[in-house]
Amino acid sequence: MTAVAYVPPNALPPLLQKFAPLLKRKWFREFVLLPPTLTRRRFSNKTEDYGVFKPSQIDHIGQVSIYVQDIDRSRCWYEQLGSLRHSRTCEQESHPSKPGWSIRCCYMSAVAHDECLVLVEERDPDGKITVPSGMSFFHTAFELEGNRLEDVFAFADQAKKAGFARNYGPVRHNSEPPLGDGETGGNVACYFYDPDYNNIEFCGAMDTIENYRARYGETKGSARA
Amino acid sequence: MNAPLKKPIIAAKLQHHVIYVSDLSRSKDFYVKLFDLQFSALNHPDSSAAMRLSNQEMHFFSFGFYHHDLCLVKHHKLKMDNNSMLHFTLVARDKAAFDGIRARAAAMGIPVRDGRVIASAKRSPGQRAFCLQDPDKHWIEIIEEQRQ
Repeated sequence: MTAVAYVPPNALPPLLQKFAPLLKRKWFREFVLLPPTLTRRRFSNKTEDYGVFKPSQIDHIGQVSIYVQDIDRSRCWYEQLGSLRHSRTCEQESHPSKPGWSIRCCYMSAVAHDECLVLVEERDPDGKITVPSGMSFFHTAFELEGNRLEDVFAFADQAKKAGFARNYGPVRHNSEPPLGDGETGGNVACYFYDPDYNNIEFCGAMDTIENYRARYGETKGSARA
Repeated sequence: MNAPLKKPIIAAKLQHHVIYVSDLSRSKDFYVKLFDLQFSALNHPDSSAAMRLSNQEMHFFSFGFYHHDLCLVKHHKLKMDNNSMLHFTLVARDKAAFDGIRARAAAMGIPVRDGRVIASAKRSPGQRAFCLQDPDKHWIEIIEEQRQ
């Protein structure tokens, strides 16, 4: 089949991708935030006490299913970039929520997460494969084996050598130089568009309850702002 | 002597997922009430350069260990839809949590459907699952954690 070349409206244009590393510079972030600074609307990201100390009802994300135009093309991309393993591809089945529509599912596994990703070709009642819009999720993120800053940098390097272009990163999502981009979570991350412009993050070293406490103690986020 | 080959760095597991929503306040209420998710951070165009440049606002939620596991994003210029994701699965931390979520869904008047979203998805013997939709019609599947 021939995939339709479609770029979702939220995709970062190539020119902006080149300038995105400037977010690691504090002067640039200050410049971008000048309007809310001057109008006194500016506030800190860390307005909440973002150390999380209570469990929720949820343990983890079990699976994400995303639409693709061509399972073979996407499977190859996830195998080559993230070393995801093909678990199985199923026969066409009824769409779970659109009467008359159908889906075909390809289940992919990560080394420590069985069938965590489902690549879904969706067909309308005429049998035509739909084009993913890019507007249901901003990104989905895989934690890399090793889960250290060094592992994310090694992964980014490995991906570049294999010919995969990042749309952003590697950066660290905090405000600490030289890697911090002013965001939150502490994860070191790099981002790639899959063949359908689904935005995929590969990350490690995210802040957790333990390292948050080690770093900040019981200090509230508002006190650190 | 040849240098030893470097072991490739590979993806270990899915870690977090960031979905578009149309009304942050409404979705935040939904996810916090139904799952006890912990609000861990807010990145806003008035607080974050990246959010300002991308016209987005992001609310971060934790399941209780990582800083964030599920994030809700509102694009201030573009309209979200349900045409790039079929569903995502949340694994309840134990049997009581699974039953609790189901009871809360009933109390909140949220229709639920038994079983997994995708018919071909694996189901371990005895594993329970149900699905529901969030306020933006994203399909969420809840399954029971089955620890060995």
